[in-house]
Amino acid sequence: MAMRCKRCRGAVVIEVRRHNAAFCRDCFFHYVGQQVTRAIAKHRMLAPADRVLVAVSGGKDSLALWDLLLELGYRADGLYLSLGIGAYSERSKRVCKEFAAARGATLVARDLAGEHGYTIPEAASKGGRSSCGVCGLSKRYVFNRAALDGGYDVVATGHNLDDEAAVLFANTLRWDTAAMARQFPVLEATRPGLVKKVKPLYRLAERETAAYCILKGIDYMVEECPLVGGNTQMRHKETLNRMEEESPGTKHSFLFGYLERAAELLRVADVAELAECSRCGMTTQAPDDPAEAPVCAFCRSKARLVKTLPVVEVSAG
Amino acid sequence: MLVTARLRPPDRIVEVADVRRVADLLGHLDVLPGAVLVIRDGTLLTSQDELRDGDQVEVRFAISGGA
Repeated sequence: MAMRCKRCRGAVVIEVRRHNAAFCRDCFFHYVGQQVTRAIAKHRMLAPADRVLVAVSGGKDSLALWDLLLELGYRADGLYLSLGIGAYSERSKRVCKEFAAARGATLVARDLAGEHGYTIPEAASKGGRSSCGVCGLSKRYVFNRAALDGGYDVVATGHNLDDEAAVLFANTLRWDTAAMARQFPVLEATRPGLVKKVKPLYRLAERETAAYCILKGIDYMVEECPLVGGNTQMRHKETLNRMEEESPGTKHSFLFGYLERAAELLRVADVAELAECSRCGMTTQAPDDPAEAPVCAFCRSKARLVKTLPVVEVSAG
Repeated sequence: MLVTARLRPPDRIVEVADVRRVADLLGHLDVLPGAVLVIRDGTLLTSQDELRDGDQVEVRFAISGGA
């Protein structure tokens, strides 16, 4: 017997096995909107008057998020950070610009090499952190800085249920309780210099954000970043997907069980003292030795990288 | 019966014979149904949808990595 839409009994375009549901096109849009609205309400992510900066890469998650926030009526601008990954970066920037132009939305563009003197491929070739590690560090820093510069209240990122489950899986395998304590759908701005961060897609699987884009006609970057091949997060996602196939709802239970029953305990236990970076002024963990000047991870990484690269003209910031 | 499947990313094309449903195609390709979307003529197909001789479908991986 043919599957029928859980809400309207119409013809189905997608199954959502973890909810034992299937939806037609319109009811799937309703479901996606409902999941995002629930996430925002439960964690008080956004207020109606907030100026929101959506970090966009041109991929399915960030463009779906930007589209949804605009549809829900939020004042959401996009932020694109050029990482200097050759033609891939050029194409992803073009996708973001076309998305913004089609909606009359504002896209803020920043450039890692122009502002900080290195590209991600250059960073990856210099050892130290992995390309994904230095990319994540750079993005977190630039997103926060760009939001401060532009007077935004919140930075929204497209992290989905699969991303969050995979990160939690990796942190649990290492029992990295400090990292686990910081993994939550909302991170409040607890100090001056920190902007609130939210993840409104954490209730949606990445297959659902991709389906949303396809059904909405959003032309996202299907090609994968050339530097990401075989990275740890991809391997963890594959492992979790095999478990999910056998037992639908595994990823949801893993993540939501953590958020509802364990996250608060770890947050209370996380007593890291914070300080102001002596080089850039951003918030960072205070050094163990009080005589030592605090230097944030981004400044340490940047100093190491820029020292090894040819001298280039770098703008302030 | 022959179905042409474009898999991406990364982009590659394979031809598969004698598959009646999308679930059969994914099984033949050794692809987890929960990790992909199958697209025909701009529309999503479910695992139970039937395939036709000469169909051209896209099997799009929905998993992305990154920081």
